Amino acid sequence: MIEKEVKIINDAGLHTRPAATIVKLAAKFKSDLQITKDGITINGKSIIGVMTLAAEKGSSIHLTFEGEDEEEASETIIDYFNRGFDEL
Amino acid sequence: MINITEKNIIKKKSISVEFFYKQTKDRFKIKLACENDGLDRLIYDQNLHRPGLALAGFVDLFTANRVQVFGNTEMRYLDQLKSDDRKLALERLFNFKIPCVILTDANKPFEEMIHLAKKHKLPVFVSEYSTTKLSYLVSDFLDDQFAPRVSIHGSLVDVYGVGMLFVGKSGIGKSEVALDLVERGHRLVADDVVILTKKGEGILIGAGTELAQHFMEVRGIGFIDVRSMFGIRAIRFQKRLEVIIELEVWDKDNEYTRTGLDDSLFSLLDVEIPYIKLPIVPGKNITVIAEVIALNYLLKHYGYDAAKILQERLAQRLKKKGGEIGRVIDYFEHDFE
Repeated sequence: MIEKEVKIINDAGLHTRPAATIVKLAAKFKSDLQITKDGITINGKSIIGVMTLAAEKGSSIHLTFEGEDEEEASETIIDYFNRGFDEL
Repeated sequence: MINITEKNIIKKKSISVEFFYKQTKDRFKIKLACENDGLDRLIYDQNLHRPGLALAGFVDLFTANRVQVFGNTEMRYLDQLKSDDRKLALERLFNFKIPCVILTDANKPFEEMIHLAKKHKLPVFVSEYSTTKLSYLVSDFLDDQFAPRVSIHGSLVDVYGVGMLFVGKSGIGKSEVALDLVERGHRLVADDVVILTKKGEGILIGAGTELAQHFMEVRGIGFIDVRSMFGIRAIRFQKRLEVIIELEVWDKDNEYTRTGLDDSLFSLLDVEIPYIKLPIVPGKNITVIAEVIALNYLLKHYGYDAAKILQERLAQRLKKKGGEIGRVIDYFEHDFE
């Protein structure tokens, strides 16, 4: 299991398009991805779930990867967060 | 498969008096007795307290951290005191860190009370409702606020009045089953993110989130809004959770129940909920099976357990010994249909 706290750094926050990308990236891996914010934990492979977090700029969210390819999955997805969803 | 960790569980430690006031002023007919700064005080306890004894001077074991309700008894008692004594009694109470005071039955606050409330920055409310009614409403509200909640990935549907939660891996078809059920006249509570709140000791109430409401994602189509597409009859805001159904790809090594005699239960926030594992195989209509599960649940609820009845019939038959395997009717009298 890999756990990591990440920050939302782009201006628009985690809006629909990056949410869709996260879900697509997560779906490529066998590992489960759970995302937690403000006590709500959602499945990182469900787009409605990711949107429910309504994570604005500056907020931080908690990622939990679990499964056989968790290393790869976490690298890919954390990298996408760190790139500010390519919107910087 | 339902993963519950500490992270999924939310439990509020306190709510501010301001939040309490905003949420309840219309519903419980509560008004502030005077302009006040103390609305940032916090409520930590879901119970209420009537401070009769404390007013009379006995403050041992006084539960100061509770919302203090002044009913007719407290007000009448204060009324027959002289102004100075009244001040003393109230001051003694207000020196504690109490969250707020509510006067019931539209009782008018005493001048001394207003004066001291301002001095101590303590919110004092007045409600039109009787003590019994207000106590019930406020307790119920606070119970709900302090109740543990858990967020779950799944779909909650009201099927013939039975609250059914579908869980399973992402992409297994939970949303599709929910949509199919809605098409057949059942009602969607929430898709994808379901928040379950514990009510009382053995009840879990499920609801969706404020943002997602009755939107859902269908793979290959995108977002749809079930409420505007199917209308008000197709949704509801909350439903008691009664059965959990886990969808999974058929696993030949896994044993699935064949008789229904032994119920399996899943424990969520210490509430035991009937739990059914449903394998998905080609040609199997999950929607119809979900309806059958709901109907069977209702039959059991109303006292008819098909599995037990058949078990008993067999037991009776075995006791009799002998006899051949007969048809359901011995003789089909001139029935050539």
